[in-house]
Amino acid sequence: MRRVGPFILERRRAPSRAVVIGVSVLAVLAALLIMAIIFAGYGVNPWHAYATIGKSTLGSRYGLMEILRRTIPLLLCGVGLVIAFRAQFWNIGAEGQLLAGAVAATGVALYSGIPGPWLLPAMFGAGFLAGAVWGIIPAFLKVKLRVNDVITTLMMNYIMIYIVDWLIHGPWKGPTMRGFAYTDIFPKAAWLPTLPLSRVHWPTLVIGVAAAILAALILNRTRLGYEIRVVGESEGAARYAGINFLRVSLAVMILSGGLAGLAGVGEVAGIHHRLLSPTQVSMGYGYTAIIVAWLARGSPGVAIVTSLFFGLIFAAGDVIKTVLRMPFQVTGVFNGLILFFLIGVEPLMYWRVRLLPKGERWTGKAGSSGS
Amino acid sequence: MRRIGIVVLAALAFLGLSALAEGNIKAGFIYVGPIGDYGWSHAHNEAREIVDQGFDWLETLYVESVPEGEVETFIDQLVAQGCNVIFATSFGFMDGTLAAAQRHPDVIFAHCSGFKRAPNMATYMADFYQVYYLNGLMAGALTKTGKIGYVGAFPIPEVKRHINAFTIGAREVNPNAEVHVKWIYEWFNPAAAKEAAEALIAEGCDVFAFTEDSPTVVQVAAEHGLPSFGHYSPMYDFAPDYVVSGQLVHWEAIYRDFLKKIHDGVYTPKNLQHVDYWWLLSQGAVEVGAKPGMMINPVFEDDLKACVIDHPVFGKISAYDLVMTRYNQMADPGVTFDPFQGPVYDRKGNLVIPEGMWPSVDTLITLEWAVEGVVGPWPGEPEE
Repeated sequence: MRRVGPFILERRRAPSRAVVIGVSVLAVLAALLIMAIIFAGYGVNPWHAYATIGKSTLGSRYGLMEILRRTIPLLLCGVGLVIAFRAQFWNIGAEGQLLAGAVAATGVALYSGIPGPWLLPAMFGAGFLAGAVWGIIPAFLKVKLRVNDVITTLMMNYIMIYIVDWLIHGPWKGPTMRGFAYTDIFPKAAWLPTLPLSRVHWPTLVIGVAAAILAALILNRTRLGYEIRVVGESEGAARYAGINFLRVSLAVMILSGGLAGLAGVGEVAGIHHRLLSPTQVSMGYGYTAIIVAWLARGSPGVAIVTSLFFGLIFAAGDVIKTVLRMPFQVTGVFNGLILFFLIGVEPLMYWRVRLLPKGERWTGKAGSSGS
Repeated sequence: MRRIGIVVLAALAFLGLSALAEGNIKAGFIYVGPIGDYGWSHAHNEAREIVDQGFDWLETLYVESVPEGEVETFIDQLVAQGCNVIFATSFGFMDGTLAAAQRHPDVIFAHCSGFKRAPNMATYMADFYQVYYLNGLMAGALTKTGKIGYVGAFPIPEVKRHINAFTIGAREVNPNAEVHVKWIYEWFNPAAAKEAAEALIAEGCDVFAFTEDSPTVVQVAAEHGLPSFGHYSPMYDFAPDYVVSGQLVHWEAIYRDFLKKIHDGVYTPKNLQHVDYWWLLSQGAVEVGAKPGMMINPVFEDDLKACVIDHPVFGKISAYDLVMTRYNQMADPGVTFDPFQGPVYDRKGNLVIPEGMWPSVDTLITLEWAVEGVVGPWPGEPEE
């Protein structure tokens, strides 16, 4: 117990679901409140701003579809990261793994010669493999050489970014692109179908939801899932229990990287239909997915909800830019505020705040801590 | 509730139609970068503001920092807000804009720097190659080491064309001049531009030109007391003693013409299939200068006048007079000179433009070769 001014802070053992949801909602509301002040500062009535954002995202079919489209890569990467984080494997490399998947899918689409109906499945297969390969390199480095996984996974992103740049400027530069740095457009057989009048490439969405369900089953119902959880709780205990740390780390990163790779396949086969500059292939989905997974708190099912939420945030950013006509930086501030508050309220979930009883309020020294 | 919605929609549709009937234009501009980038998007936005103030029948909207894969989404949103003309200002928007043009057949589209058109989609470009050539003439006269440095963004035809024109100019004055090229693979990256410029200085380069959306190269060169040429925006103020000249763009020339022709009924959503603006010096879409109205920085006038060469066409002529002569040949409405007029050989010795020929626009926008005098890596260079 800790006393701060007129408040008592009590440590909570494990926050209940209600507390987590309640505090998170509070955080988002606080962010929206601050944002309202910024809107007002720009001379935009905050009510009008939020009404417009709501109407243009949740309130229209078009807006809903845009949310779904942004959700797809976030969900796939996010589920993968949930698995990795459960094993305390800090995979910051979903962006690079996503791009690896995009590269593999492009290679298959343009250069494999696989006939029509088999092309898309082959692209997804290659994308998963490429993402997995990009993921297990840091896993090996961590287990065999004790290299920090945060650093390696992060640095692998840059390597992949430069590989993509090299490919589109060099060997894969499309002859029909008149010298610009793009590959040629994929043949139609390599285009993912979309929901009517939208850009939601639904097969990837289905794969994403299936991945979330499967990941939940693996984590909760299988031996591998048990091992992942034990490794995540205590590496020492896991070793003592005879769990093969290398095997678990590899499995985790194959799943995590592979799922991010699938997201990359979806982006090039569903949206761009070619490989292009890495910053255009992914809008930082691999990085945003870290927050998606963090807020999902280890549950792949909850990742569906959190990825939808960030899909909404992305879509809201577009509305701020176009309909409300504010500078694009405001979009960044909006996203940043929500993240800031969501992560900033974390201690509130683990500490209960109570007012001191009236009689005691002025007796103790402010800031002192008791037992 | 639903009925009210329908009434509102009908009213909006009516308003939209009546606005069109009156000939009012609502133009939406889509930028790939932030308007504060001091480069490409900044220049388009300046032009938008100029035309917006120039025509009382015109209203404009814009969206900045639009990712290439998202252009369709943003076009749809601008059309939903009543835009009947859309300018998409980046090559990467091409296919998305074409798809949107097919989805909105009554809206007029114009795509900058691309090559796909439709009945309701034109293309336009203001190109610098003549300006780079004129800058090259000056650079050739000013270099003492015979090595000129060039910091390039991406090895794509547009940048290659500009480096070639610049090199042709430099060697017209100084046949032994070399243009040393370093690529940074970014449109905007001051740190990389600084590194590249420092490396070029270490190689002995003493005059600089570049393609990057910041004044970094100008500043680095000035720190070493070396002259340079500004790119895209007026960069004179960043180093008044060292910016010789540069490339300035006037997109408003194209926007003004295009929008006026829509307003006058010359352009409709049905007749743009062959409308392609390729505007240069003579149309006023680009300007040579350290800043508007200052073609050559007075600091360098004497040096350029003192540099007298024996020219195959003009005989004894100073570099200054050569710049003025060539400028007039290209800026007058009846253009009588092109920097790429044949014969042009690439650096592997192939004749790429035959004697007496001028390159077609198509040749220029797909150009991959490097002319003699270009030194350094050249990704995508054709084999012999």
